[in-house]
Amino acid sequence: MSVADGHDGGGGTVGLAEPSPGRPAERGDVVAEAKGLDVFLTRDGREGHVLRGIDLEIRAGEIVSLVGESGSGKTMLAMSLLGLLPASASPRVEGKVNVAGVDMIGGDPARLEDVRRRRLGAVFQDPMSSLDPTMRVRGHLREVVDNDGDAIELLRAVGVPDPRRRLRAFPHELSGGLRQRVMIALAIAGEPSLIVADEPTTALDVTVQAQILDLLTRLCAEVGSSLLLVTHDLGVASQIAQRAIVLYGGRIAEEAPIDQLVRAPRHPYPAALLRSRLDIETDPSRPLPSLDGDPPNPGDLPPGCPFAPRCEFARPDCELAPPPLRPSAPDRSDACIRRDELDLRPAEVEVEPWTPPLVDRDHAALRADDLHVSVATGTLWRKHRVDILKGVDLRLDAGECVALVGESGSGKTTLINAVAHLVPASEGNLEVDDPAPQMVFQDAGASLTPWMSIRELIGERLRAGGVPRRERAERVAEVIAEVGLPPWVAAAKPSQLSGGQRQRVAIARAIAVPPRLLLCDEPTSALDVSVAAGILNLLGRLRRRLKLAVVFVTHDIAVARMVADRVAVMYLGRIVECGPAGRVIDAPVHPYTRALISAIPGSRGERIRADGPAPSLFDPPSGCAFHPRCPQAREGCAVRTPADQPESGSQQHWIDCVLAEDGSHDGRG
Amino acid sequence: MAAVEPILRPGFRPRRRGRRGYVRLRAMPIGDRLALGALALVTLLALLGPTLAPHDPLSAAGPANHPPSFTYPLGTDEVGRDMFSRVLTGLQSTWLAAFGVIAAGVLIGGGIGVIAGTLGGWADSVLMRVTDVFLALPPSILAIAVVTAIGPSLFHTLLAVAIFWWPYYARLVRAETRSLVVRPHMVAARLSGAGWWRRLFRHLLPGTFPTVIVAASLDISNLILLLAALSFLGLGAQAPAPELGSMTAAGLSSLLTSWWIPVMPALAIFVLSLVGNLSGDAIRDMVERG
Repeated sequence: MSVADGHDGGGGTVGLAEPSPGRPAERGDVVAEAKGLDVFLTRDGREGHVLRGIDLEIRAGEIVSLVGESGSGKTMLAMSLLGLLPASASPRVEGKVNVAGVDMIGGDPARLEDVRRRRLGAVFQDPMSSLDPTMRVRGHLREVVDNDGDAIELLRAVGVPDPRRRLRAFPHELSGGLRQRVMIALAIAGEPSLIVADEPTTALDVTVQAQILDLLTRLCAEVGSSLLLVTHDLGVASQIAQRAIVLYGGRIAEEAPIDQLVRAPRHPYPAALLRSRLDIETDPSRPLPSLDGDPPNPGDLPPGCPFAPRCEFARPDCELAPPPLRPSAPDRSDACIRRDELDLRPAEVEVEPWTPPLVDRDHAALRADDLHVSVATGTLWRKHRVDILKGVDLRLDAGECVALVGESGSGKTTLINAVAHLVPASEGNLEVDDPAPQMVFQDAGASLTPWMSIRELIGERLRAGGVPRRERAERVAEVIAEVGLPPWVAAAKPSQLSGGQRQRVAIARAIAVPPRLLLCDEPTSALDVSVAAGILNLLGRLRRRLKLAVVFVTHDIAVARMVADRVAVMYLGRIVECGPAGRVIDAPVHPYTRALISAIPGSRGERIRADGPAPSLFDPPSGCAFHPRCPQAREGCAVRTPADQPESGSQQHWIDCVLAEDGSHDGRG
Repeated sequence: MAAVEPILRPGFRPRRRGRRGYVRLRAMPIGDRLALGALALVTLLALLGPTLAPHDPLSAAGPANHPPSFTYPLGTDEVGRDMFSRVLTGLQSTWLAAFGVIAAGVLIGGGIGVIAGTLGGWADSVLMRVTDVFLALPPSILAIAVVTAIGPSLFHTLLAVAIFWWPYYARLVRAETRSLVVRPHMVAARLSGAGWWRRLFRHLLPGTFPTVIVAASLDISNLILLLAALSFLGLGAQAPAPELGSMTAAGLSSLLTSWWIPVMPALAIFVLSLVGNLSGDAIRDMVERG
């Protein structure tokens, strides 16, 4: 196998504004095709029509992206191509699916097994559940190659450092990024004709995401295989794909070369997706143009265009019959009956700007000085304590929003848990304004007690907040309306709501008795882009109306820039850079912040790499914790722990780096 | 865009609102539905048993050793008592006794499990080691020892079995509690100001119900067999009380001459434990499907 080493190359970053020119689509042979594909799945005794009349063609060497919100049917389409529809849902398939010349529907199971082994590769979102936890990396690889030499070669190709040692590792001993690389190694091993990657980067940190996308693209080119990239994020798709197929309600809404789709969508659904997407360039001074409502349940679609109920351009005749997919150019087609009258090119959208938040500089909502949090670890006999937070200073004025950003393991969540008094501080001083802060969690579903009704969950908060019993019902109705939910939600259980609705309920509970301080732990990272935009708007509106101070934990810099007045960048238990959101993100100074920001799809300027995985909290590097990954590290960095330094004399912008001490950084600020 | 954006258009209803129970029952395989039907029937028979019995189970109703016939569907025993009436009455005591013992086990074990699971630390260790000691001893042998010490009677047998039946539930509830207390919804409940008792009874306990119900329903057949075995050994209800196990034991000598005397109550035990087991499976399927 001749595949390049994983760490070299990695050309310029490309974003939405300037889509990938890509390689010219070679008009090669058709590798995979679906014709008139209809798929029915049975769940809870009801048959749902999840894919409806899909026609699709993937040619040799092509990178095609399948885009849609959850419930659009994109994963089921990918699974149909792999011949892996879930047997538990007793799938019924009509139409034709041919992959590598083999009928994936009626084919003989042994034959399909063989095709999957030899001609297909698959990479899924969660590599941990795709890898056998009891099997070492060698065991996995030896299923696809004959000897250890080839296995090492494969690992090297996918950029796994120290491949000889990793062969002996179990999947749980690898970081998320490394596991995904192992999955990719398995997928490319047979030099397949088609690789299906279902949300391969969704579960990964941004810095790692960019590397994985690079890797997939380069390997596909070298092995000569086609790639079907399933994603909910048009931004990810526009980075590497040549063509995109947008699914909605189990139907193709639009199919087009990715640059044309991004520049001038012809169907209102991708247009709305593009508008609600936020990136590093989005204007934070006004609400996001959000796409209201939820994707339909593929089981019962409206009689007409599935998108009509959410479409701002819908006319009565849109609701009569599902519009057919019609070509508009040789390589484009879409399913909108109004396409010729609409101009959907991204334009300045008229959205009323936010009123500036009322920040009260005289009242601190939160004050942490030299905050340490440690956990006991080790065995019963040899206990020792490990610091998760190592001296955090943070002040938050009433009404202000600070975003905590950083990779997983940096201590962001521990910090807000300490603020909520969920974990005790081992050292330092922490002052939190009364009433006690409320929290909004990443997984809203898990934060709502499944067997309790929404009315009871919110009522419980009101009771604890001292609201008299007779006023509770009214207040419950009020907050439910406040967060933009219809009244019937009060009687529902969490399982009857969609992800976005659940997060709104969690927010309603948190503000039912308005706190001074709201802690948000990645509240949008598990949601679809369009739904997330609605939640961010809601939080922006509530914090202005209720004068809430907000600590917003996120790994997404674009989100941080959107919601926060100030940004604090965390690395291994310390805040390494903190300042006004605009300054920290547009002109970062600390090398770690710069690496983090340059890894964002669509960011301009040179790419700064933070190579290798984040070091472990249990074995932190000496001196500056970032020095082993720092491109600008010097001799002293391994010894001295840097102290907070004001950046260019500013009292609001602080950096934890020796570069700032002597002013030798190439400050772009 | 208006300040308050409605998320849903008016008129939109959630997908499965109010239909869950119906969908669950309809989606249930026919076998599971039959098992649950049988469970309901047996429980009904047990509750109504004595009123349905055509004859007095304790006194002679006809000729001795009469084979099954139209008048005596299950025959009569060696003193002429109607077997059908005796089996029906025995069904009641066995079935209700099984429920009673399981209820006691769930209450005692559940209590210990919840305390261990929520307190954690050394309280958990102590309670679980005690549980382990009880688990290590076979309940049937211990029950025999206790009953011989305090004298054989149906009540004593139940008491003895109940004392040793809880460790299994303590383990189960404790494990379930441990996994529930670390769920985000418990943290969220704490942050929203719910007190300790409320968190325990509203946010934690209901989460253990599905597992406990499934375990208990599968346990019924074990218990019926154990109670029957104990009364077969002469440790349960004393003759001439109609009790399925002791009836089987007493009738064993007539097996070759009047086969129906031991076989009919034994068959009833078989049916009871089969119904218990199959409906336990059905309930587990139902809970797993959610």
